[in-house]
Amino acid sequence: MKSGIQSSKMFYILLSIVMVSSLYFVVPSVIVAEESPRTFLTHTGLVIQTTGDVIDPIGYDGEALDFDPDKFMKEFDFGEVTILDDGTVLREFYITARDDQIMEVSPGVFYNVWTFNDSVPGPTIRATEGDLVRIHFTNEGSKPHSLHFHGIHKAEMDGVFESIGTGGKFTYEFYAEPVGLHLYHCHVHPVEEHIAHGLYGAYIVDPKEPREPAEEFVFVLNGLDTDFDGENNFYAANTIPFYYQHHPIEININQNIRAYVVNILEFDAVNNFHLHGTLFHHYPAGTDTVPSGYNDMLTMSQGDRQILEFNYKYPGLYMFHAHNTEFSEKGWVSTFLVKENANDFDTEVEYDDII
Amino acid sequence: MTSSKPVLAISAIAPIVLLIIMIAFLLGPASSFLQFGIVLPEVSIEKIEFTGNEIQATVRNTGPINVNVVLADVNDRIQPAAIEPDTSLERFETALVRIPFDWNEGQPYEIGVTIDDGTRFSKGIDAAFPSLEPDIDLFVFLGMIGFLIGVVPIMIGLLWYPFIKKLGKNSFNFFLAFTIGLLIFLGIDAVIEAAEISENHLSSVFNGELLIATVIILSFLALYGVGKKLTQKAEFSKLSKGLAISLMIAIGIGFHNLGEGLAVGAAIALGEVALSTFLIIGFATHNTTEGLAIAAPLTSTKAKIAKMIGLGLIAGIPAIFGTWIGGFSFSPFFTLIFLAIGAGAIFQVVLSIFQYMKEKSGLLSNISLFTGISAGLLVMYLTSVLI
Repeated sequence: MKSGIQSSKMFYILLSIVMVSSLYFVVPSVIVAEESPRTFLTHTGLVIQTTGDVIDPIGYDGEALDFDPDKFMKEFDFGEVTILDDGTVLREFYITARDDQIMEVSPGVFYNVWTFNDSVPGPTIRATEGDLVRIHFTNEGSKPHSLHFHGIHKAEMDGVFESIGTGGKFTYEFYAEPVGLHLYHCHVHPVEEHIAHGLYGAYIVDPKEPREPAEEFVFVLNGLDTDFDGENNFYAANTIPFYYQHHPIEININQNIRAYVVNILEFDAVNNFHLHGTLFHHYPAGTDTVPSGYNDMLTMSQGDRQILEFNYKYPGLYMFHAHNTEFSEKGWVSTFLVKENANDFDTEVEYDDII
Repeated sequence: MTSSKPVLAISAIAPIVLLIIMIAFLLGPASSFLQFGIVLPEVSIEKIEFTGNEIQATVRNTGPINVNVVLADVNDRIQPAAIEPDTSLERFETALVRIPFDWNEGQPYEIGVTIDDGTRFSKGIDAAFPSLEPDIDLFVFLGMIGFLIGVVPIMIGLLWYPFIKKLGKNSFNFFLAFTIGLLIFLGIDAVIEAAEISENHLSSVFNGELLIATVIILSFLALYGVGKKLTQKAEFSKLSKGLAISLMIAIGIGFHNLGEGLAVGAAIALGEVALSTFLIIGFATHNTTEGLAIAAPLTSTKAKIAKMIGLGLIAGIPAIFGTWIGGFSFSPFFTLIFLAIGAGAIFQVVLSIFQYMKEKSGLLSNISLFTGISAGLLVMYLTSVLI
């Protein structure tokens, strides 16, 4: 009799424990209001008052950055130069492929990037027409990779049928031709996957007679499919979404600008480039010395590239972005800050805690 | 016997202690051994509300691991937003994502959030609808809706009482059977509605379908016990057996109407239904039959009007509470629970009526039983088409 009572008591105790603990999961956690909500101005000009966190992809403040778009856009790898006996300039480059790195591609978003020299895009390779280009390629990745350069070269230097396995090395060698803006990327199957993860870079062949002096930038138009559904979650010029929107690229009024624009976007058939406040002369693949048009719009398919030359008549903040606004609203939106003279504008734009 | 007390306690506790030791072993020393497979995060968007110039989404971490919500989007376009209390979500934790956005009424929207590994989760809304201000007007409005779909139709249904009372024994059996038909339909209706809520609003971690089954059975058993007590008591007191049955039907329908009210209130608050006069008419017509169900067993007794009104209120008033709770703070979990309780209660009532009829008439295989049940089901179906 007694044991019966006890076991029923036990049952009720267990039952109440189960009920109380299930309540813990069911009842939404109480949102505790702080004393005073903070006010934020977002990058789209909206105001948010909140006691919580702001999730606004405003780019990096510099510290959390695994990749610096400001540095990348002005950095050219001319290689190690040796003058050969016949007077030919030999340029030697060292490129290592990896596929194990996790990079913070947008604030708080971590993605497994596949890299050439620990960077997406890889280094911008630059040579002069007729130079001998020698690339010492090492694959430190877990999968086979290769280097496929656009341009004129022998079939065995094409990097398509000879993939380099894990730990493998290969030396690519070819003469830099023709003049223009080209690109290189991994050509191992499935190529879409290898490109989408970041194995690509720009390749510039300068004419022997140098182009007009100008401030030069490289913009590799790319995207990131972080959830692997065959659609890009982020779009950008130089990998980091919204970066140049919050870190305007400073140029001067009437200064000649030359932009090397490479489209390596996967999954979307067409990308485009729209410049505000001025128009540019553009050179498809940079192979001709005569511009093929004067425009503020460029439509580019995968692998297309264009050299743009322009300058600004008036000072101020100008946008350049994909006119396909889906792309711009997912990160491919950038700005030029045109200064009247060198110290005209405060370059630091603060978006947090404005009020 | 007293000497066995500690032994008994140990025998009760020992399995629990061993289970805890096993769990500790699995989480501790054996954890590396058991690391296989890929753990995928999961976030559910439970509720989307449209206010003045903001879209608010309630998100819950329904996956096995902690996540950070780092981006919000509207129609797959990244939007700056705020998240309260903060970006990090532990298992089962919820957060409110507030997206400033000039939304357009009546337009469909898809709201998405992206977590730290780049995975995006989204939920669509068929038509944006301004979320209601929780003020006295809404309180009165929801109360009126509850009153109109719950209390009034049941009272109207009870008015059949004098008519049924005048009928002969076969006709009386017919109406009891008719009631059984009504109730079976209501029970099935509640199960389906609960399943719909489980599918549309409740994240899969809650095992909605199993929860419905569990609650239905528990509710059935609980009311079986209560019903037994009530009918036993009826034998020794003035409380007649017919009244006891009616009371149980009223309680069962009350639970049902609470769940129904929750669902209707939530639908109003979430803007999921265009709440037309027609819909109210449909619900009212449908629920009039509930009054008939309460009235039928009473005809074997002398029922006072006050008692009948009381029974009607027991069955109908929960609808008002339902619309209030559902309209002001919709919880899919509790709506599902009450719908399931209602279903269990109703199935128990069906059983009680069968037993009552068997006691009264002795046999259950007469024609009025089958025609009654069939008629009840058909009437319910036809009135449900109106909704």
